Amino acid sequence: MLFLRILDRLEETLIAFLIGAATLVIFAAVTQRYLVGFPLFYGLLYDINLTWAQELCIYMFVWMAKFGAAYGVRTGIHVGVDVLVNYLSPGKRRYVILFGLFCGALFTFVVGTMGAKFVIELYPTGQVSPDMEMPRWIIFLCVPLGSYLMCFRFLQVAWSFFWTGELPHHDAAHVEGVDDFDALETPPKEPTR
Amino acid sequence: MNSFIIFTLLIALMLTGMPVSIALGLTVLTFLFVMTHVPTEAVALKLFTGIESFEIMAVPFFILAGNFLTHGGVAKRMIRFATAMVGHWHGGLGLAGVVACALFAAVSGSSPATVVAIGSIILPAMVAQGFPKRFGAGVIATSGALGILIPPSIVMVLYAVATGGGSAFGPNGERVLSASVGQLFMAGVVPGIMLASLLFLTTWYRARKFNYPRMPKASWGEAFTAFRKSFWGLSLIVVVMGGIYSGVFTPTEAAAISAVYAFVIAVFIYGDMGLRDVPKVLLASANMSAMILYIITNAVLFSFLMTSEQIPQAIIGWVTEMGIGWIGFLLFVNILLLLAGNFMEPSSIVLITAPILFPVAAKLGIDPVHLGILMVVNMEVGMCHPPVGLNLYVASGIAKMGITELTIAVMPWLLTMLAFLALVTYVPEISLWLPRVLGMM
Repeated sequence: MLFLRILDRLEETLIAFLIGAATLVIFAAVTQRYLVGFPLFYGLLYDINLTWAQELCIYMFVWMAKFGAAYGVRTGIHVGVDVLVNYLSPGKRRYVILFGLFCGALFTFVVGTMGAKFVIELYPTGQVSPDMEMPRWIIFLCVPLGSYLMCFRFLQVAWSFFWTGELPHHDAAHVEGVDDFDALETPPKEPTR
Repeated sequence: MNSFIIFTLLIALMLTGMPVSIALGLTVLTFLFVMTHVPTEAVALKLFTGIESFEIMAVPFFILAGNFLTHGGVAKRMIRFATAMVGHWHGGLGLAGVVACALFAAVSGSSPATVVAIGSIILPAMVAQGFPKRFGAGVIATSGALGILIPPSIVMVLYAVATGGGSAFGPNGERVLSASVGQLFMAGVVPGIMLASLLFLTTWYRARKFNYPRMPKASWGEAFTAFRKSFWGLSLIVVVMGGIYSGVFTPTEAAAISAVYAFVIAVFIYGDMGLRDVPKVLLASANMSAMILYIITNAVLFSFLMTSEQIPQAIIGWVTEMGIGWIGFLLFVNILLLLAGNFMEPSSIVLITAPILFPVAAKLGIDPVHLGILMVVNMEVGMCHPPVGLNLYVASGIAKMGITELTIAVMPWLLTMLAFLALVTYVPEISLWLPRVLGMM
């Protein structure tokens, strides 16, 4: 299962990188726009054109959204209305949950296929994005890739649920690093600057 | 007839417990393949371009900023500052909890995050001081809800996104523009402070009645030190609100700036978080953001279907025919949203209902900003009562209390919130005064 482990790491690294990089890109663009107003920096920064930053940020986030959604299936963050399901007997509940997971797989498969068709039709048109002039089919490639990956994740979760009865569960109350319970009694370490 | 089928299918799919986003998407697909003339290509394109807007990107940025603030020790310093201010009154730490929640809400856009950030520090401290657990959990679960009312707020961004681009017409047929994120943020300030004060008073009243512990009064020196230490966190309020109001940056840019700012204070100034923890925070934020963006994608599809089936127009026709005025309509909206709050979490509710309610409200002369604030307050109430009140679950996780027990524990504050909801619903000036005075609308 080495392949699966590599896929997991790749997925995690990609989405964490995308959100971090997008933040830095927008930060840089705003800082540049602001500083260029000062005569001191004007000559230095005037030549740098960051109008593409916004577009790049959007595409990075669209990619992050598609792959992050697949990662979310694995971490169980996609919540549904489970009020009724929890009242069912364990036997029935099992079937309803499996049905839900297969619907997820079905939907993402259909979307992935629609996306693949769309990308194939887009490829020969040679359309490019307005600012960065990046081929649009590359941008839209995240839809089939992300959706098929998500479909795979749904099947993976369904498989392990079928055999073990365990679902991934996202624990909203758990926060790492906030275990400092007697924070109010003990003075904190002085800020290091 | 069609609309009836759409909603029946959606509700049936949702009740199986599948993710809300999948239920929305499947409803749209089924409808498309089975019973409509809308070309599949048009919908396919929506699927890709649904989240291709810079405005929506404020959501991941605010989530990232919130995570850095939670992990970076900002909450801890805000609590110490709040304690120094109000700790010596009846129910000291409880009052400090309300104030700290309000302060943290002013830098974070999410309500469960506020409960976690403040609650996990202050609850154990309250129990140690001899407060009943019920009291502490009740204060924090409800005050945490301020997170989405006091700007910045993720739910407000979602409302602006969900109603943006829709066409709506006022009572006399004039075009009504949807509310912008900036307007909503400003409009949230006054109701946010009011609700915080009301929750504060409720806490104080109960603490005095049951004679809960107070803390020694902090000296001016101590208060100043606490202020100085929390200064870095507090100044983020000025950066975000000032930046948006003065037009230095857009709400999305403000969100990105606050994410970088929060990272810098967490890692380099307070040093509560090492660089090693950064990837973990990034991954957790990406996970949460992707989930919301995925709901948005599918909700955009769904509202596209709504529009092409002319459902808002049908409701407008029905409302005018019945002669329902804005008072009756808003009562209906409140009941609908409170009911929905029993089953779904806020982002889904706002994304599904806002595009339908907005054109109807506009027709009745209700300001889109007012509708937005009203929906946000409704979402707050929904987060604090079972069966899916997210704040309750988070608080029960921290306090190690059962949901049923916690439901009773939050009652006094929940009733206060309901009274406040009625006030916000029927006094539009509470929401509209500040953005008007500032000339934003």
